This record gives sequence, structure tokens and C-alpha cells, in this order.
Amino acid sequence: MDKELLLSAIVFGFSISAILLLVSFGISIGFGLMRIINMEQMIYYTFGAYITYTTITVFGSFWLGLACGVVVSGILGFIVERVLLKRVYGQELMFTMVVTFSVFLIGIGVIQYVWGLAPKPVSSPTEIMIPIFGVSMPLYRVLVIGIAALVYILLQLLLNKTIIGKALRAGIEDAEKVQGLGINIYKIITFTFVVASGLAGLGGALNAPLIMIGPYMGFDMLLFAFVTVILGGLGSIKGTLVSALILGQVISVGGTIWSPLSYLAPFLVMFFVILIKPTGLYGVAGKAFGFEE
Amino acid sequence: MKGFGGPLLAVLILIIARIAFPAKMNFITEVSIFSIYVIGCNLLYGHLGMVSFGQPFYLSVGAYSTAIYLAYFGTSPMMSLLIGIGAGVVVGLILGPFFVRLRGDYFALVNLAICAIGLFIVEKLLLPITRGDDGLWYRSRMADTLFLDIRKPDNFFLFVMLALLVVLILFKYMDQSVLGASFRAVKGNERKMKFLGYSTFTLKLTGFTFASILSSFSGSLFAINFGFVNPNLGTPGRAADVLVATLIGGAGTVYGPIFGSFAFLGIRDIVSKYILRWELFVGILTILVLFKFQKGIWGNIEVLLYEKFGKKAKPS
Repeated sequence: MDKELLLSAIVFGFSISAILLLVSFGISIGFGLMRIINMEQMIYYTFGAYITYTTITVFGSFWLGLACGVVVSGILGFIVERVLLKRVYGQELMFTMVVTFSVFLIGIGVIQYVWGLAPKPVSSPTEIMIPIFGVSMPLYRVLVIGIAALVYILLQLLLNKTIIGKALRAGIEDAEKVQGLGINIYKIITFTFVVASGLAGLGGALNAPLIMIGPYMGFDMLLFAFVTVILGGLGSIKGTLVSALILGQVISVGGTIWSPLSYLAPFLVMFFVILIKPTGLYGVAGKAFGFEE
Repeated sequence: MKGFGGPLLAVLILIIARIAFPAKMNFITEVSIFSIYVIGCNLLYGHLGMVSFGQPFYLSVGAYSTAIYLAYFGTSPMMSLLIGIGAGVVVGLILGPFFVRLRGDYFALVNLAICAIGLFIVEKLLLPITRGDDGLWYRSRMADTLFLDIRKPDNFFLFVMLALLVVLILFKYMDQSVLGASFRAVKGNERKMKFLGYSTFTLKLTGFTFASILSSFSGSLFAINFGFVNPNLGTPGRAADVLVATLIGGAGTVYGPIFGSFAFLGIRDIVSKYILRWELFVGILTILVLFKFQKGIWGNIEVLLYEKFGKKAKPS
């Protein structure tokens, strides 16, 4: 494989990592904080992409569409959390899974009803190519990587420097004790959930120009996001970052070598990791998941 | 033989329904085949407490092995059914040891992943063999069978009834045996079960393989019924169908799956006249059933029967 191809595959891989990082945050935190499996996160991803598409066709501005996508996803997340998910906290995991999966299906149904079944193209906001190490790359992909990096830094600041973030991290460790300290954990959960669904919407909006958007786009992303979370270790933001970086490269470089690998390789990696290290790369040992003890 | 009457009665009711409504024969055939599929899911969810979002994969394993045999190798439908069941056994025994060791949520997700991989393989990787989205057609290649020419819809209906009867009797036998009790005990408290000295791994593997066999068997029946297969059968999007049918009928009951598939397919047929895709409807139905109707149809009937005839309630 020649050097230019490999280099562009690596940059493409980083842009895929960026999207994966944005969409898996909700699933990782959702399990860590609320002990539910968030199957419906990807509906915000899909809505983010579709809202962006509609805003572009109406107003013609991609960046406005991006903002609208994030806001609408956040609002949707708020509604779903307040109306439905608060009823499933504390239930067994299977129950939360089937409920959230149903929400996901309902969302797909709504999208089919509103936008129809046909895939829609979203045009990229810039067609400029910029040279990186002598290979010309689309500027948009570099922008995606930059935005995801910025979001990650902001998240780290939020988690480490603010009271809400500290309460959230403590909630992941032990939600009951946090409540015992007089902090309303349910407000924090709602806040986190809105942030997470907004980020999933951002991921969808950013990904929209890179793929064709369709009602079922969430399904594949759901699987990839879960692979990311399983690989990184639940509840660990750092683990999610590392596994997103690995998977992006696996998808992109693997796909360059043999095209079916771009779809199959993440699953192979996941099966491999589940067999070798059930806690994922950065999972806490006490919270081993995957295997029964 | 004890416990023979119930399944026989259930199948007789279906046959009477077919005689009473001759125009609905295809629907009843479909319901019966779907019931076998739902029984597989019921075994996993209702008895063992394992949720799988990948049941369509096992369905399409059976359907595609039957279809590929009929389209390329042989002509005998009976042989193709055996091959479908065999494929279910093989897949269950190969994947089972890896999957059943996983905790419940990962079991469900890994099944969803295998379902996506299966769809990808059928749609893209094996394109020359499965002809991708066009589907594989082989109705004209099916040969006559020994006693009953199952190419005719009427005879196939009888054949499906026979299959359902056998499955129901075996399922009821399993439900009342020690195996069924052990399954329910695993659902109730797996740790205690281990403490008592049972190998929950073996139990789960057995249940998983049974479910896989039932799913692939019903996939084979679907394949013979329709005379063609396409990847639509195994899309992850339809993973909830069978779960909903299980829940509506009543998880963990013997006759629940028949009621569940009857209700689910019936409502779906009515709804699909008005909306093209039924994801929206399936989702809303699942949430309603989960929150308001947890016992399911047969679960509620069972409670009534016990009250009326004062039978001892089944331990659950």
C-alpha cells in the first residue's frame, strides 16, 4: 500500500473516531450514572442529521443546521428522559434495554413518517482541500476532528473543574452516597442526559455530509457505538476516547486493505476484547462487565 | 401421556379456524410458523431470562440454509428442513459457548452484533450465492414429498400444524420437566443455582441451542412457505417483533406464543394497511405491554383459569 493512501486512510480514520467519540458518550455515561443501557441514544444522532438536512434546505447554512440539530436533539433527550426513562431507573437492565430499544424504533418510525424512506444527501459546507504532509485532504474532515477534540477538552473541563461535573463523577462511583450528601442526583442525571443527547445530535449533524442520511443510519452507528463503549470500558471517558481512536483506524485502514473489513473489523475487535479482557481497556476491575463472575 | 391434550386442543382450534375462515388460511399458516419462532424466544426470555436482539439472525440461518440447499443442491423439501434444523444446531453449539457466558446486557448486544454481521454476509459477502436484495427463488425446484405434497398450500398447512403440534408437545414436556424448572430457577436466581451445584453454563447453553434450533426451524418453514428468501428476514430492525409477540402472549407460558403471534401478526396486518412501515407501531406496542400488560394474554387467562378451577398456581 502506498504512503499517500495510508496517510489519507489515517486522517479519515481520525474523523470516524471523532464521530464515534461524540455518539458513545451518552451510552457510556448512561450506564455509569443511571445503570441503564441507552439503546435510544442513536435516535438523537439520526434526528441531529435530519434536522441539519432540513435547515440546510430551508436556510442554506450548514452551521446553523448544526446548531439546530444539537438543540433539537437536546430537547428530545430532555423529553424522553422526563417522560419515560425516569420510570425505568432502578429496574433490571433487560427491562431498560427493551424499553429504550422501543424508543429507538418509535424514533425511526417518526423519521420515516416525517422525512420518508429515501436516503437524503447533505452537501458538505466546504469543498476546500488542504495539504497535510503533501497529501491533499478535505478540510471538512479536519474540521470534524478539531470540533470533536474541542468537545472532548470542554467535557474534561466540565467533569474536573465544575461542581456539577464532580457530582456526576461521584454519582458514577456511588449514586446513593451522592444523594446522601444532599445533591439531587436526578437533576444531574437529566442534565447529563441532555448533554449526552446533544452530543449525539452533534455527531449526527457532523456525520451527515460524510454519509447518506437515512432512517436506519442509527442502527449501524448503534452497533459501532456499543463496540466503542465495550472496548473502552463502561463509564470511563478516557477509555471511550482511546477505543474510539483505535476503532476509527481499524475501520478506515482495515477498509482500505479489504473493503468488507470496514464493517466487520470493529466486531472482530470487540469479540476479541470480550474474550481476553472482559472489563474493556479502561474499565474498573470492580465493575467487571461482560462476563459473569 | 400426560399433557398431550392441551397442545392437541390448541392445534385443533387452529384447524377449526382454518375451516371456518378458508380465506385466512395463509394467515393461519404464517401465525403457526411465527409461533414456533416465538416459542424459541419465549424459551430464552420467559424461561431463562435472557433477552436476545439477534433472533432474526437464527431465523435467517435456517431460512438461508434451506434456500441454498433447494436452489443449488437438492430438490427434497424434507431434506432441506433437516438441513435448516441442522444449521440451527451447529450455530447454537458454535456461538453458544461464547455467548451464554456473557452477562445479560452483553448477551443481547452481542446478538444484535451477530445479527448485523449476518445481514452483511448475506447481503454483501455472499452476493453471488444469495443474490443479495433480489432474493433467492426456488419454488419451481421443489420436488414432491413422500406422503404429503407440501408444495400445495393446503397440504403445507397440515404439515405446519403437525410441526407445531410436535413442537408444542415437546415444549410443554420441557416446561413441566426438571429441565424447565431449572431454567426458571436460573432466571430467578442464578447465583443460588450455582451454589446448589448446577452448572448454569450447561443449562444456558442447552436453552440457547434449543432456541436457536426452534428459530432456524421456523426460518426453514418460512422459506418453504414463501418459496423465496431475501435478507429482509434477518434485519436487526425486526429483532423487536419476536420480543413483542412473546411479551403480548405472556412470557414464560406454554400457549402464550400462539396468542402472541396471533395478536401481533393480526394487529400488524391491520396497521400495515395504513402505514407502510411498522417500527413506530411495534415500539409503542412494546412500551405499552411492558408498562401496562406485563402478564400477557395467556398469563392473564391462566390467572382466570386458576381462580375458576382452583388449580394450584404454577411456581414461577
